[in-house]
Amino acid sequence: MAASISGLLKPWTPRVLLVRWSRYNPYYLEPEVRKEAYSRPESELSAEEKEERELKKLRPIKAATNSTTSSVFNDPVLSKFINMMMEHGQKTLAREIMMQTLENIKRKQVEKYHKATEGQKDGIECNPYVIFHQALENCKPVVALASIQKGGKYYQVPIPLTGHRRRFLAMKWMITECRENKHRRTHMYEKLSQELLAAFEKEGNVIKKKHELHKMAEANRAYAHYRWW
Amino acid sequence: MAAQGGVLFQEKVSRLLSRENGKPVLKPNRPLVLKDSVANKKPKKGEASCITEMSLLMACWKQNNFVDSLCSNEVNTFYTCVHKAEAARKNKSEQSNVTGGRLTPKQATTLLKRFPNLRSEI
Repeated sequence: MAASISGLLKPWTPRVLLVRWSRYNPYYLEPEVRKEAYSRPESELSAEEKEERELKKLRPIKAATNSTTSSVFNDPVLSKFINMMMEHGQKTLAREIMMQTLENIKRKQVEKYHKATEGQKDGIECNPYVIFHQALENCKPVVALASIQKGGKYYQVPIPLTGHRRRFLAMKWMITECRENKHRRTHMYEKLSQELLAAFEKEGNVIKKKHELHKMAEANRAYAHYRWW
Repeated sequence: MAAQGGVLFQEKVSRLLSRENGKPVLKPNRPLVLKDSVANKKPKKGEASCITEMSLLMACWKQNNFVDSLCSNEVNTFYTCVHKAEAARKNKSEQSNVTGGRLTPKQATTLLKRFPNLRSEI
């Protein structure tokens, strides 16, 4: 914004309008984007949901981000993954890579489907979204280690994780694995599709990392009492 | 009421500081002024939750060589236990804040900073 002295005296409008800020007053509520939430009749709602609706009539609501849509294809997990893959704000590139990954997964699975015998055809999953979600589920750790100080020394203590933290760790491991452990000439979407398919079958480096974390936690289970929450 | 009590208190303090009746009782090296903050109390350390479920889960892992599909029951019980412990912790902190009539040290400090002790006449 140009801040000239004469500019300050004129009536001023912000140069960028209708943009979702990143810091809102906690008074603002999250927007409800899904169409199904609004098409439910009055009778189906419980008392708490009715109260929530009444509250939403009165409180201000945050603006929805550009990447959220009310279409059936909107997937918050997928959006989060794309955001985590994004570097230097290049959302189009990250989204392109993700779409190419999903297409690649579909191609591989369809090829496998057509080559398989009649008995095996039912077991092959062709929907790339299902594969993506299942692979992430398989990569999520159950417990993690935290460094806790007791009596001057630091111990690795196994702690339970929240659902968000588990999802974040699974996505982070997947992305770092695909960025680092690949041949310099393989594309990201190629490596990602390989890793996702491997995680779907419960093989691959990310699953190995998860198992190693579980083994470490199991080895340190004696220190579990050092937690205080 | 506070002003009368304040005057009596000031007189008592000046008596304690005076050298007229032998040695003074108080020899302060800093001015006798209240701070605008309250000392932070260390929160009581609770005990770890869901230890039994975790130990069951780890025993199951040890038996099945860390294959997840065979331990799904233990995993689900662990998750439910963690969820309940989290909800209980939130409820407890909310409850102890609302009832009791006492302020936490942080709340007291915020309040005192908004209405500070006047050190000079301005």
